[in-house]
Amino acid sequence: MNGGETPRNEDGTNTPSEPERQQLTGRQRLAAGLWPPRVTRAQLIVAVLLFVLGLGLAIQVTSNNDDSALRGARQEDLVRILDELDNRTQRLEDEKQRLDAQRTELETSSDQAEEARKQTREKEQQLGILAGTVAAQGPGITLTINDPSGTVEPDMLLDAIQELRAAGAEAIQVNDVRVVADTYFSGTGGDVQVDGKAVTAPYVFKVIGKPQDLEPALNIPGGVVQTLEKEQATATVTRAEKIIVDALRPAKRPDYARSSAQ
Amino acid sequence: MIAVLGLVVGVVVGLLVRPEVPAVVEPYLPIAVVAALDAVFGGLRAMLDGIFVDKVFVVSFLSNVVVAALIVFLGDKLGVGAQLSTGVVVVFGIRIFSNAAAIRRHVFRA
Repeated sequence: MNGGETPRNEDGTNTPSEPERQQLTGRQRLAAGLWPPRVTRAQLIVAVLLFVLGLGLAIQVTSNNDDSALRGARQEDLVRILDELDNRTQRLEDEKQRLDAQRTELETSSDQAEEARKQTREKEQQLGILAGTVAAQGPGITLTINDPSGTVEPDMLLDAIQELRAAGAEAIQVNDVRVVADTYFSGTGGDVQVDGKAVTAPYVFKVIGKPQDLEPALNIPGGVVQTLEKEQATATVTRAEKIIVDALRPAKRPDYARSSAQ
Repeated sequence: MIAVLGLVVGVVVGLLVRPEVPAVVEPYLPIAVVAALDAVFGGLRAMLDGIFVDKVFVVSFLSNVVVAALIVFLGDKLGVGAQLSTGVVVVFGIRIFSNAAAIRRHVFRA
């Protein structure tokens, strides 16, 4: 290192250097320049220039800290940044629209699914009334058949059921047996079975339907009521605003028949 | 010593006064500061070498600043301002590093 220094010191021959300064090392020169402070022309000039440098440095640093990075940026940089921001805005706008559309789609589809579920539930209720798996209530009539002498045959009860169905009965129960599509009557007078379950007199038919249709259907001349009365049985029909058919039967899955809807 | 005091006073004044820089000068200020830093490091090295001349320092300081600003100005006009200012900063950075290395050898003898 010292070998590198020597030629540099010799280069300084064009400077007004005294012979004794040649002997000083760099460190000694630095110390001599710093202390004691001497007011020389060189010191003053350098001080002025360093003042300017410090001023510029401080201004630049504060202006960089004060504002965003945009303050010192050149015009082309600003244009580029603006372009990038525009592109970014565009991209985000597109994404927002896409997500909005997706949200709308999801909302409508969930609405549709909800609607389909609702319809399915309603249909299940309707079919449940037909199949006898749910209780039903509504206006209708009660047909009570008293059979003191045991002369009412099962086919007479079946006739009554058919007559009621023809008159638009929607749900029927005999005593505590629900009458559905595959209901059958068996036995003999005084020992009647409905769907294999024994029912005893008095036979109480709870029927939901339009009372104005159901009652005349039973009372017509030569109809159910007259036929029963010929057999020494008594049949009374009473209308009611609210009939509850609450005898149920379990849902049965058909073994062979399948829906051909799909 | 007075030179160091000048630097300190400059920084303090700049921080306290917070002068508004005119918009025309603004893009050139950072480059000018880097150029001035280069001149200062060169001057310090020359002082340690014992070949410091105040006239040379003044001229190199001012010419560094002016030329650096000129290069950036020209670059802006040519539409390559960003690249040119990067180049200027790189060149000055290299010079500052080599000067700092020489100063280090003087001060620490290593």
